[in-house]
Amino acid sequence: MRVSRLQTGGLLVGIAGVLTVAACGGSSGGGTTSNTLATQQVLHFPVLQDPGTWDPGEMDAEVDTELMQNVFDTLWRFDDHLNIIPDIAADVPTTSNGEISSDGMTYTVHLKSNVTFSNGDKVTSKDVVYSFNRGAALAGPYASNLSLIAGYSAVHKAGKAVCGKSSDPTTCHTTVEQRLAANDPSLMMSGMSAPDPSTVKITTSGPCGWCITAWSLQGSTGAIVDEAVVKNDPYTWWSKPGGPSVTDGQIGTGPYYLSSYTPKQSITFKRVSNWWGSPKPTLTEIDIDIKDPSTQTTNDAAWEQNHYDLVGYGGDSSQPTADILRYQTSGKFKSQLQLIPKGRTTWVSLDVGNPGAGGPFLGESPAAQGLRKAFALAVDKSALASTVCHNLLCTPATGGLITKGLIGYLGDGQDPLAKFDPTTAKQLLQQYDPTGSKTGNLKYSYNTGGINDPVAEFLQGQWQTNLGLHVTLDPHPDASAFIQDRLGGKFVMSRDGWQFDYNHPQDWFDNLWGADASGANTSGFADPQGDPQVATYDQPLAKADGLPIDQALPIYKQLSLLLEQDIAYIPLYYSVGQFLIHPYVKGAGSNAQADFYWDEISILSH
Amino acid sequence: MVTRGTLIYIGQRLVLIAVTVLVTSFGVFAVVHSLPGSAFVSEKVHGAALASLLHQYGLDRPIPVQYWDFFRGAIHGDLGQSLVIRGEEITPLVLRELTVSMELGGAALLITIGMGMLFGVIAAIRQNTWVDYTLTTFAVIGYSVPSFVIATLFLLIFGLWLQDITNGTFYYPIGWTGTYGTLAELSVPAVALGLYTSGQVTRITRAAMLDVVQQDYIRTARAKGLKTPVITLRHALRNALIPVTSILGPLVVSILVGVVVIENIFGIPGLGKEFVSSILRHDYNVAVGVFTIFAILIGFSNLIVDLLYTAIDPRIRY
Repeated sequence: MRVSRLQTGGLLVGIAGVLTVAACGGSSGGGTTSNTLATQQVLHFPVLQDPGTWDPGEMDAEVDTELMQNVFDTLWRFDDHLNIIPDIAADVPTTSNGEISSDGMTYTVHLKSNVTFSNGDKVTSKDVVYSFNRGAALAGPYASNLSLIAGYSAVHKAGKAVCGKSSDPTTCHTTVEQRLAANDPSLMMSGMSAPDPSTVKITTSGPCGWCITAWSLQGSTGAIVDEAVVKNDPYTWWSKPGGPSVTDGQIGTGPYYLSSYTPKQSITFKRVSNWWGSPKPTLTEIDIDIKDPSTQTTNDAAWEQNHYDLVGYGGDSSQPTADILRYQTSGKFKSQLQLIPKGRTTWVSLDVGNPGAGGPFLGESPAAQGLRKAFALAVDKSALASTVCHNLLCTPATGGLITKGLIGYLGDGQDPLAKFDPTTAKQLLQQYDPTGSKTGNLKYSYNTGGINDPVAEFLQGQWQTNLGLHVTLDPHPDASAFIQDRLGGKFVMSRDGWQFDYNHPQDWFDNLWGADASGANTSGFADPQGDPQVATYDQPLAKADGLPIDQALPIYKQLSLLLEQDIAYIPLYYSVGQFLIHPYVKGAGSNAQADFYWDEISILSH
Repeated sequence: MVTRGTLIYIGQRLVLIAVTVLVTSFGVFAVVHSLPGSAFVSEKVHGAALASLLHQYGLDRPIPVQYWDFFRGAIHGDLGQSLVIRGEEITPLVLRELTVSMELGGAALLITIGMGMLFGVIAAIRQNTWVDYTLTTFAVIGYSVPSFVIATLFLLIFGLWLQDITNGTFYYPIGWTGTYGTLAELSVPAVALGLYTSGQVTRITRAAMLDVVQQDYIRTARAKGLKTPVITLRHALRNALIPVTSILGPLVVSILVGVVVIENIFGIPGLGKEFVSSILRHDYNVAVGVFTIFAILIGFSNLIVDLLYTAIDPRIRY
């Protein structure tokens, strides 16, 4: 029984060879760009999560709305500069063009005559009324965008009652659909009517300065859906492929429709032929890979190898810091890196009005206010931006909570809480807590991931250096549990922030503080449950919300001042999105709110 | 041959599997539903909107009631719907992912048995030579180093150091094209997963072969002039298989558990990756569905291996 050494050695070499050969594969591309269109007009990029839902009545995740803005249209939409322009509607209503009544409570909306759904169905005013009523009845996260329409509260309540009868979302959606089809008056907002096929009348329960902006929010309750399609599969119609002649799939009025979707793997959209709108789409297909968030570095590597045309579209434009720093110094990639300010502000919330959490910052006493101010002034926001963000990933928040570039921004350096004054900070601490008994055991709570960890360490260092206080870090790996606790007012000091939905101060002031923000008022500022500031906040806010923006802006700025004077927060930074876009992807980009629409993009020869 | 005793044994084991799956799935169901956080909560979804969603999905009911709903659906093959991808049916999703995991697990099992037995046989017939020492050392390293260490090392070697040769294939999961990947993409994870268990098979095969080749019937066969390959394959290896088969059950379980780790390291879209991500995303229904599939799989794998004994060793009867 002998096997020669040659045979044995050959066998081992063979196995190693097979493994090595099997390990080799793939290719990378590259080349130069010309100004002529490429033969293949296919855009390929990754997103970092599956859709939660693409139903405009219930959508809330940015990854979803960023895609669906290309499938669904609203009466009006935001252009690349965040101006409101007509979409399905023929004009943007104003009092001067007569489409808003003199009391500011009735909107007469004329629809464009050539609008069709991607299956060919014509869009009429009934579709608009149906879509708005459905949005109110489903009571999704953005149903409140319709809350000023007369009759909203009753429909919202009736919808919740319908869905409250069972613990089955399919039953909920089916019942709502059946009642809408039967014109059940309990699900019809009295403020919505369709006097003729091309006119919609919307009556609000009071003057509303923000309604058109909110109704224009892409992929949301203002988006128009096709009743004839939705009724065939009320709960999951949005997850099925759409297109010409489809009767139960994802049908919108936008330039693209869902062609295929494999959960956890891929999504494909295709161009609607002879689309009614403009600009006419050039891209014929959008191929999207659904990747795990942990794969960002590999996605960037794939982009470098031209496997992806761009990275950053689809709601998550934060790339690994190491990659951004590398691209910033790379002769090849620097020009392909776009750093675009996004509409997100991050701050530290201090517990001002939640009696449950307690802590030294609670209440309106001079000591509580003084300690809040001490902690705010002890943080060098510019140093944070340079140390943690390398002046690339964020900018210091010096102009108030509303992000730079948005309506309501106070102006560079206008927020006194953004100042860095360690001397005053130390004096305040000495004055209001000379023994350290109040501030000795403080915790800073935050959800981990991204730059949250280095930011927390930076803050800890700042308070240690400038106040001589050791603040314990309280990291929370589970973001949803952290947010739940934060919204429950359980933290004395916590990471907080807001990504704006639509470009109007109401989106910030109504949702974050005061009586209307029930359940989201982290700091408890102007919270009816515990903070006496509520009256001084809620009344002017209600007034501002009903005024045109030019008249409302001074009031909103007063509210900003109120927040600053009360030291309800410590401003930290404004986020900057990082987009990797190859030069042959013409027209791609983003603004503070969303990615540029796909119909603006074309692929050049490369 | 299937006897009445075998059928009774199979019946008993099936009952045991059902009880095990029931108890463990309820345990997992209760635990994941008790975790803090929720699939729905976000900066934009809270308060009344969150309560409404929880109610719509029945998540505000007592856990035993929710489990009863899950159980009723599960016995009809319906594992419910995802909470994260609303309306997505879980059964087809996990079945697809199961096939991916089976592809990886099957490849790893082939490597385990193929490489393990091959190395074991060669080491035995080349006992106390450099070949034996090399293969034995390789086996010891294999079963001493956890698969996640091997996987990370492979990523470093093939994904980073040799990236000019592999051209990004192992920048996982970029290289995992489509549902099942390519042979190249499958090879490294399968080796990483199978190396640990193949080391054990090498060791046991070598020991069993050394024992068998010293038996009288092998000496007789050699004296009768039979050729070495015939003696090795037909007479020695078959008997040496019995101890190997005895560890096959634990090996299959080890591979199934390893799949969870390997899929997450290489980003392979299988059940193991789903199990972890569904827990992290609070997709309770998916987590319980995946776990239930795993429990059933492990139960049936052990049963099949136990039944294999009778095929290999006629002395064993149930």
